[in-house]
Amino acid sequence: MAQPQRRPDSSSLAEVLDRILDKGVVIDIWARVSVVGIELLTVEARVVVASVDTFLHYAEEIAKIEQATAEGELEELEELEVERRPESSPQSASE
Amino acid sequence: MFPVNNRYVYGVVEGDPIEFETDAVGGASVVYTISHRRLGAVVSDIDTTDPEETDEDATRHDEVLRRIMNDGDGRAVVPMQFGMAFESDRALKNVLRGALPAFRRALNDVEGRVELGVKIVRAEDADVDADAVTERIADELEPIAAQSVGNDLFSDRLVLNRSYLVDREDREAFDEAIARLEEDEDDLVVRYTGPFAPYSFVDVTIGAQR
Repeated sequence: MAQPQRRPDSSSLAEVLDRILDKGVVIDIWARVSVVGIELLTVEARVVVASVDTFLHYAEEIAKIEQATAEGELEELEELEVERRPESSPQSASE
Repeated sequence: MFPVNNRYVYGVVEGDPIEFETDAVGGASVVYTISHRRLGAVVSDIDTTDPEETDEDATRHDEVLRRIMNDGDGRAVVPMQFGMAFESDRALKNVLRGALPAFRRALNDVEGRVELGVKIVRAEDADVDADAVTERIADELEPIAAQSVGNDLFSDRLVLNRSYLVDREDREAFDEAIARLEEDEDDLVVRYTGPFAPYSFVDVTIGAQR
């Protein structure tokens, strides 16, 4: 017997708005208008299901940025990344 | 003629430049890429750095991303949130350069994948064991999806509200799993939407130190 056909609905404006106004990459206005002497901070929270443990790690990294900024050592931390770790992602099944 | 030296950014791609005509955000008619090395910001010209949120322009933003995602065999794009307009090409290239590793990783995460939305609503007057339903759905869908993320349960009739990042080649298996759920669960209404650009799976924030 053939599998029942089911296709997702692609026409919902509400579903698009939920995503486009709330998700996606965010770049703050200062990074969008300034050029001279600007230092960028990039934060990647590659954490789909955040745990307390991940949050604490994240907070620690943010503190490092703040400290480095104060000390003028930002470049080393430009590629800061909070890695998603297995114990923080119980719903991520395929890895 | 209004000055159009600001750039509205839809998303970031890697590789060959893009150019096509369409109804773009803010009344522009051409979408193209501004590149730094292999990265390209998908943009159109605009006369402001603070575009007004309208349904029409939100739809246009989304349609530009869909067009790129559906190009040929499908192209990876890291979607921006609505409203990311830059004052100048220099400011834009500065961000592409400064956040290049983050964009690369995000592109790698979403390559060959699309976002699908699933909302499960309890039928009116139905008595549903929400935990059991959630577990059954996780058992069916999580093994197929590459990643998933929960969204707000804004109504007490909403049993589950999640976004799934799914490999294109697993789309059919996902469709079939949704169909099985619908067949088996009479007390549940399944709202299945997409495919969307992977908005929910690119959690990147870029700021400037002032």
